[in-house]
Amino acid sequence: MNKGVEPSVGFGKNFNVAAVQQKLRAAMAPLGLLGPAGLWLVLLMVLPTLLITELSLVPGLRPGEAIEGYGLLNYLRILEPTYLQVLRRSATFATGTTLLCLVLGFPVAYWLALMAPKRWQNLLLVLFILPLWTSSLLRTYAWITLLRPSGVINLVLSTLGLPTQSLMNTSWAVYIGMTYSFLPYMVLILYASLERLDLRLLEAAADLGANPRTAFWRVTVPQTLPGIAAGCLLVFVTSLGDFVVPTLLGGPSSMTISRLIYNQFLGVARNWGFGSALSMVLILMVSVAIALLLKYGDRNPDIYS
Amino acid sequence: MPPRLSRNSSLLPNASRRRFLQGSAAALAAVGLSNCRRTIGEAEPAPGDDTTASSEASGVLHIYTWADYTDDELAAQFTEATGIDVKIDVYDSNETMLAKMQAGGGDKYSLIYPSDYMVTEMIGLEMLTALDKSRLVGLDKIREKWKSPVYDPDNAHSVPYSWGTTGLLYNSEVLTTPPTDWNYLWDNRDVLARKMTLLEDVRETMGAVLSSLGYSYNATDAAELEEAYQKLLDLKPSIASFKSFGWQDELLSGDNLLSMVYSVEGIPVSLENPTFKYVIPESGSSVWTDTMVIPSSAPNVDAAYEWINFNLQPQVSQETVERLFFATPNGEAMAMLSQDLLDNENLFPPEELLAKCEGIAPVGDANALYDEYWTKVTSA
Amino acid sequence: MSKKHNLPSPKLRISWQGCLTALTYCFMYVPIIVLGIYSFNESRYGAIWKGFSLTWYRKLLGDERLFLALGDSLKIALCAVAISSVLGTLMAVGLAKYRFPGKSLYVGISYLPLIIPDIAIAVATLVFLASVAVPLSLWTAIAAHMVFCLAYIAIVVSSRLQGLDPNLEEAALDLGATPAQALLKVLIPQLLPAIVSGCLLAFVLSMDDLLISSFTAGGANPLPIEIFSRVKTGIKPDINALSVLLILASGLIAACSEYFRYKSQRN
Repeated sequence: MNKGVEPSVGFGKNFNVAAVQQKLRAAMAPLGLLGPAGLWLVLLMVLPTLLITELSLVPGLRPGEAIEGYGLLNYLRILEPTYLQVLRRSATFATGTTLLCLVLGFPVAYWLALMAPKRWQNLLLVLFILPLWTSSLLRTYAWITLLRPSGVINLVLSTLGLPTQSLMNTSWAVYIGMTYSFLPYMVLILYASLERLDLRLLEAAADLGANPRTAFWRVTVPQTLPGIAAGCLLVFVTSLGDFVVPTLLGGPSSMTISRLIYNQFLGVARNWGFGSALSMVLILMVSVAIALLLKYGDRNPDIYS
Repeated sequence: MPPRLSRNSSLLPNASRRRFLQGSAAALAAVGLSNCRRTIGEAEPAPGDDTTASSEASGVLHIYTWADYTDDELAAQFTEATGIDVKIDVYDSNETMLAKMQAGGGDKYSLIYPSDYMVTEMIGLEMLTALDKSRLVGLDKIREKWKSPVYDPDNAHSVPYSWGTTGLLYNSEVLTTPPTDWNYLWDNRDVLARKMTLLEDVRETMGAVLSSLGYSYNATDAAELEEAYQKLLDLKPSIASFKSFGWQDELLSGDNLLSMVYSVEGIPVSLENPTFKYVIPESGSSVWTDTMVIPSSAPNVDAAYEWINFNLQPQVSQETVERLFFATPNGEAMAMLSQDLLDNENLFPPEELLAKCEGIAPVGDANALYDEYWTKVTSA
Repeated sequence: MSKKHNLPSPKLRISWQGCLTALTYCFMYVPIIVLGIYSFNESRYGAIWKGFSLTWYRKLLGDERLFLALGDSLKIALCAVAISSVLGTLMAVGLAKYRFPGKSLYVGISYLPLIIPDIAIAVATLVFLASVAVPLSLWTAIAAHMVFCLAYIAIVVSSRLQGLDPNLEEAALDLGATPAQALLKVLIPQLLPAIVSGCLLAFVLSMDDLLISSFTAGGANPLPIEIFSRVKTGIKPDINALSVLLILASGLIAACSEYFRYKSQRN
């Protein structure tokens, strides 16, 4: 797959033996550099993905069963109302989380990038993304302590004489948990984008008589649009595939596509064919989101530098 | 290129798939195909099918069992008696255990604790070792009822370990009219709204609903299952979660008022805290037997036999019952139990109530139907 | 909670963005702080404070199972990161240096582990391993973790490579160094901060991974799986204590990582 390599730069201009040898060596060099990782990716990423593509076409395949023939039954089953509802729920959770992260994350990133004292900027940003370094399971678990009927939030509410809330095991708990988990990603990307903002444009806008609100919507937002798109994509894709939050906080009516897939393999159902088809649909949903970003957003969301 | 599964090949490791990777990845082929069942990187001996020369029972015994079913004390006693280290992993339902074993994640286990119907299913899947009775000591002490159970005639593959029922555990301070039967859940759903848990166990929970409709726990009729599915769906908005284990915390802290529980989990709570009462629905519930079996992939068969024999000792069995509160099929152990425990009607229900309870039996092809309805219930 | 209220800077105006930011910081830290406080709560159930106690920490330190799980996690993460650091760096260097037919396909594939949701990767790997009859073990988990580790390391190293001066390596080659020498003596030292920060990222992701381990680890019981099964089978305050310790540990790792990132940007 990755074997057809040749050097990019112009070695073989003089055709003598040494040059040919050198050319050969040069041809092998990329193989040495790219071969091992490429082999690993093909073996454990590409082949497995192709394999589930195939298995998704085997109706109701259970582990230990022989492949009897191919068909679209698994995909047709996904079209049943119950499972369509699962897909819709997953998409709703992901969309809602993305919006919440954007609404909460933008002011934070804006303040950090443009209004925070310069000396503290880095430290404050690090502080905000610090929770990302801790176990996502335990961070979600922390919310159980807060949200459960006898939890901290209700303790505070009842001390204040306010009516208690029953948030645990509801969709609200899922939104809260997911927003909590993925907000740092959003802030990180928006910050990178806002930090590059050309402040002279804002000054120019002000000079030309734009009020801050107009300047924000006509200058700041359009300039950071690629960052917004990248942040939204990252949060959307991550929350679409999230397993931990709906499992721990969502209760009985929060089946999402990733939980459903999990159950087809390590849960009750043991239907590998159906599970593979669901995985393909999940990959498809993610691909659509990415295609949209590539069309409208920043082509190289670089969150690492 | 995508690997081809030939028409008759199966997904479980077997020889017919050996051409699978030919020319594709020599390295993997060398490791993976030379010996299908070899555990790479572990010091354990090759799995003992009956041909494997038996070594001295030693090393580590990996056990896969129900959450909270064995305790450290039992393991420590065993290690002291035999010198074999015990490592225990837990599962929360028969089906997840089966899934893990089938996915190849359970190759290290030499002993597992499937329930009755799961024993039959695993025998059908050729996942269990036929027991060598000559290596078992104390099988004769098993009570008559379990000598040749329907799920495994002559106990050819399994040794009955414990039995119990499934019932409702409730907070008697809040629920002043105590539940007596399954229909209580539907009748009182306003009070119980999102304050009750049901077992995360397809056969138990579907079975309870079937039973509340007057059908068998082992119904295979599609119409009956559909009716049960609809009835369960009807109750679903009132359920806080499906949980077989870990409901204790929510019940004791007052978050929940009622939980559908296995007796072995419910009775200790009711004994510790009289506010919580365990009740077996009067129209009948399930009565289950959990067994000890040796999977055919077991790496340490000798230690597994040691473990079974150790647990068959009446003294050990009696002590475990008094700590963990399950009913024992061991006649001699039962004779040694304190009168208090023997009189506990939750632990040893009266015969006339037991007569109404049903054992969960394999349902053959209807399995797929159960799974589909369960997936739908949990997905809705 | 957030430090900005006590900032010495007189320039700091109270703006609504600032207030919102402060609230969001609270949102991020309240759960962690509550967890920390309740890890010292004597009560086993609910949110009622029953008194200060170190019981749960004592229980935690005596919990052999948890330490075994931690050991498994460390084994997986360290092995996967160690191998991936080499493969990922080579890949990043290779992609930066050479152009070849199919390069965009190669790059596309290298992005797959970052894009495809964990659950799909986990499932695909499990099915693949089962179909080639490789029994699950600690090693299959390491192999599966390597996939995403090397992808992350490669991407971090790549971003650093873009900012490097290509002339240095060429100079080394002109001065008679072999390509391998040039790589080891010139390029790698320059890339080191990026490699380390990529490794830290991969390490943390690997330590945090639940799904891929659940599907590919046989005979091993990494920490996230152990925590997940404990959380699922009941909330016990010793998990609170564990959280506090893990959060402190990862805070330390984060600090190291930020230090290296800072250094890598300085160079």
